[in-house]
Amino acid sequence: MRNFFNILKFEYLTCIRNKAFIIITVFLVCGSLLFSFLPGIITSIVSDEQMSEDDNTQNVIAVKTSDYSENLVISELSPYYPTFEIRIVNEDRNVIEKKVNDSEYQFAIDINSPVSFVYITKNNSLYSMDENLIMNAVQNMFTISEFEKKGLSEEEIKGIIQTGFASETITTGTDQAKNYLPVYLLMCVLFVAITSYGQLVTQSVVSEKNTRAMELLITCAKPSQLMFGKVIGAGLAGLTQLALIFISLVISMNFSPADAIPAEIRDFINFPVETLLMALLFFLLGYFIYAFLLGALASFASKSEDLNGLITPVLFVLMGVYFVVVFMCSGDMIDSTAMTVLSYIPFSAPMAMFVRATLLDVPIWEILISVALQTITVYLFGLLAAAIYKIGVLMYGNPPKPVEIFKMLRNKN
Amino acid sequence: MKIEVKNITKSFGEKEVLKGISFETEDKKALGLLGRNGAGKTTTIRIIMGVFYQDSGEILIDGKKIDRSKIQIGYLPEERGLYPKQKIGEQLSYFGMLRGLTKQQSREAVNKWLDRMGMSQYKDKKLETLSKGNQQKIQLAATLLCEPELVILDEPFSGLDPVNAMLLKDVITENIEGGAAVIFSSHQMNYIEEFCNDICILNSGKIAVGGNINDIKRSYPRDTVNIFSQDPESISSFIIRSYSDNIVSADTDAKYSCVTVKLKEAAMKDRLLSMLLENNFDFDGFRVKEPSLNDIFVQYTEGGI
Repeated sequence: MRNFFNILKFEYLTCIRNKAFIIITVFLVCGSLLFSFLPGIITSIVSDEQMSEDDNTQNVIAVKTSDYSENLVISELSPYYPTFEIRIVNEDRNVIEKKVNDSEYQFAIDINSPVSFVYITKNNSLYSMDENLIMNAVQNMFTISEFEKKGLSEEEIKGIIQTGFASETITTGTDQAKNYLPVYLLMCVLFVAITSYGQLVTQSVVSEKNTRAMELLITCAKPSQLMFGKVIGAGLAGLTQLALIFISLVISMNFSPADAIPAEIRDFINFPVETLLMALLFFLLGYFIYAFLLGALASFASKSEDLNGLITPVLFVLMGVYFVVVFMCSGDMIDSTAMTVLSYIPFSAPMAMFVRATLLDVPIWEILISVALQTITVYLFGLLAAAIYKIGVLMYGNPPKPVEIFKMLRNKN
Repeated sequence: MKIEVKNITKSFGEKEVLKGISFETEDKKALGLLGRNGAGKTTTIRIIMGVFYQDSGEILIDGKKIDRSKIQIGYLPEERGLYPKQKIGEQLSYFGMLRGLTKQQSREAVNKWLDRMGMSQYKDKKLETLSKGNQQKIQLAATLLCEPELVILDEPFSGLDPVNAMLLKDVITENIEGGAAVIFSSHQMNYIEEFCNDICILNSGKIAVGGNINDIKRSYPRDTVNIFSQDPESISSFIIRSYSDNIVSADTDAKYSCVTVKLKEAAMKDRLLSMLLENNFDFDGFRVKEPSLNDIFVQYTEGGI
C-alpha cells in the first residue's frame, strides 16, 4: 500500500510539474479570472465598432405608406427606435432601395397595404430583430386605426393594447429549461476532462516504457499499484486543474462589478451545487473507466507514434457517446428508453445518467444502480488494466492486435 | 544466504523459453549467468525478480521458498531505465522508497551513493544532462541504494570508459565482500572471469554447462602447453625435430613470442619440459594451456538459438 501512495504522489507531482500542463492551467486560470470582465470588454469593442459604422450612416428610417398617418407611424415605431429619425417618404421603391444601399437610410419600410409591408435593408444580420419589431408596430397601427373607425378614443385603444400580462411557471420536478444550458456546458467539460486527463495517463505509460524506466519499476512495484497510482495521480492532477479554474471563476464572479456580467450569463453559469456535485461524481466514474482502458492499451505502445492507433478506438467510443447524448438532449429525447438504457451502460452512463439525473426527476434508486454498475466496472477495469499492463509493458515491437491481447490474457490465467 | 534456482521452466504461448534451469549461489560470491541473446537469461532474471512466475520449479532462499518482501534485491537492467527528465536526487529517492526505504532513509542512501559514485554535484540535475557513463553510474546507484542482499547486474560495464569501469569494479567488489550475492550477466568474459567464482551458461533455455569456473577449465584435457620464449622459432624447430612422435602439433605465435604444443597425451608434458631444460633453451614460461571462458562459451553455445 505504501508503494501505491509513493507512485500516486510521484505521478501527481510529475503531472503538475509538466510544462504543458502548467501553461494550460495558467492560461485557463487567467481566462477564468478575466471572465467577468470579458462581456464588458467585448460590448465596448462591439459598440465602438457600431459607433464608427453608425457615423457613416444617416440615422434615418424611411417609411412609405398611404394607409397610416405620419403621427401614427411615428408614435408606433419610435418606441422601438428612439435614437432614429422616422421619416415618411413618397419615393419610388427603386429610389428607396438605392438610398438604403448607399446608407442614406438605415433601413426602409414600404407599407404597401394595411396588413403587409416590405422591409428593405442593406445587410440582414443573423441576429436582427428589426422585422419582428416592425411587424409589432404595423400590427399596432392596424389595430389602432381599426378601433378608431369604431369610435374609440386613442387613450382607450392604447389602454387596451398596452395592457401587460403577468405569467409564472411552477416546476414540481426538474426545470429543464433552466438547467439545460448549465448541464450542457458541464457535459462538454466532462468530455474534455475525461479525454485530456485520460491522455495524461497514456503519456506517462508510454514515456516510462520508451525510456525503459519500466524495466526497473516493474521489479519494484506490482502492476496494479503502478496502474492505480498512475490513474489516480493523473486524475488528482486533473481535479487540481479543474479546482483552480473553478476557484478563479468564483473569485472573478464575486469580485467583479455587479453589472460586469449580464444577468442572463450570470444565471447561465450559476450552477446549482447539486448539479456540480453530480458532475464531479460522474467525471470521476467516467474518468476511471476510460483512463484504465487507455492506460492498459498504452502499455503496448513502444513509442509515442504507436499510441494513436491503440487509443483511437476508445476515444471514438467516448466521442460517440458524447454526440449521441447531445443529440438526445437537443432532440428532446432525454426521457426516451434509449437514454434510459444508455444511462446504465458503463461506457455511456457517466454522461447519460448525468444528463438524466440533472434534467429529469429520476428516482434515486436509478442513479444508485447506475453509479454501482459504474463503480463495479471501474474496479474490474482496474484489475483488467493491471493484468494487460503487466503483459504490455515488457513487450516491444509492433503493438499486438486485440485478439492477440485476449489470447495473452487467457494464457496468463 | 544461499539462493537456489531449481528446475525452472517457463513458456510464453507455444514457445518454451526455459526448460529446467537450475543453479545456486550464495553471499560473498558472484555467479556469471551467460548465454547468447535470446537464451533465456532475462526471463530467468525476471522470474527471480518476481516479474513473471515460473510454470514449474522453485526459487529458494536458505532452503525456503523465496519471499521477495523479506529480502532486498537490487537489479540493474540491461536496458537502462530511469527518468531522463527528472532530477537525479528525486528519482533515486523515489526508487529507494519503492524498494521499501522510508523517505529519510532513502534521502540518506541517495546522498551516500551519489557521493560514492562521485556524482553528488549532479543531484539536482536532470538525468538527460549527463554523459552515458555518468548515467550508468546513477543507474548503479539506483541498484545499490537499498543495500541489497541479492544484486543482479545485467551488462553493467557496457558503454563505460576504463576509468568509470574501474570505479564500477571497485563498487561491485566492495558489494561482494560486504556480503551480497551477485548474479552477473554479461558478454564481456574478462569481467566474468574477474568477478565470478561460478558460471552458468544457458543455451536454448537449458543449462549447457555450470559450476566453478576453475573446475570447468580443469575438466578439459591438459595436453596442450604454451612455451614463452624470445626465440620461439628455434624451440618450435627443436620440438618438431626431436619430439615429433609425441606431439600432434607445434605452432609458433611470433606476436606473443609463444609456442603452442599439443601433445598426444597430457603425461608427456613433463618429458618435454625436461628435454628443453637439458638442451639449455632460454624460455620465460612453460604452462598448461587452459581454455578461456570465451572458448568455453563458444563451444557450448555455438549452434544454439
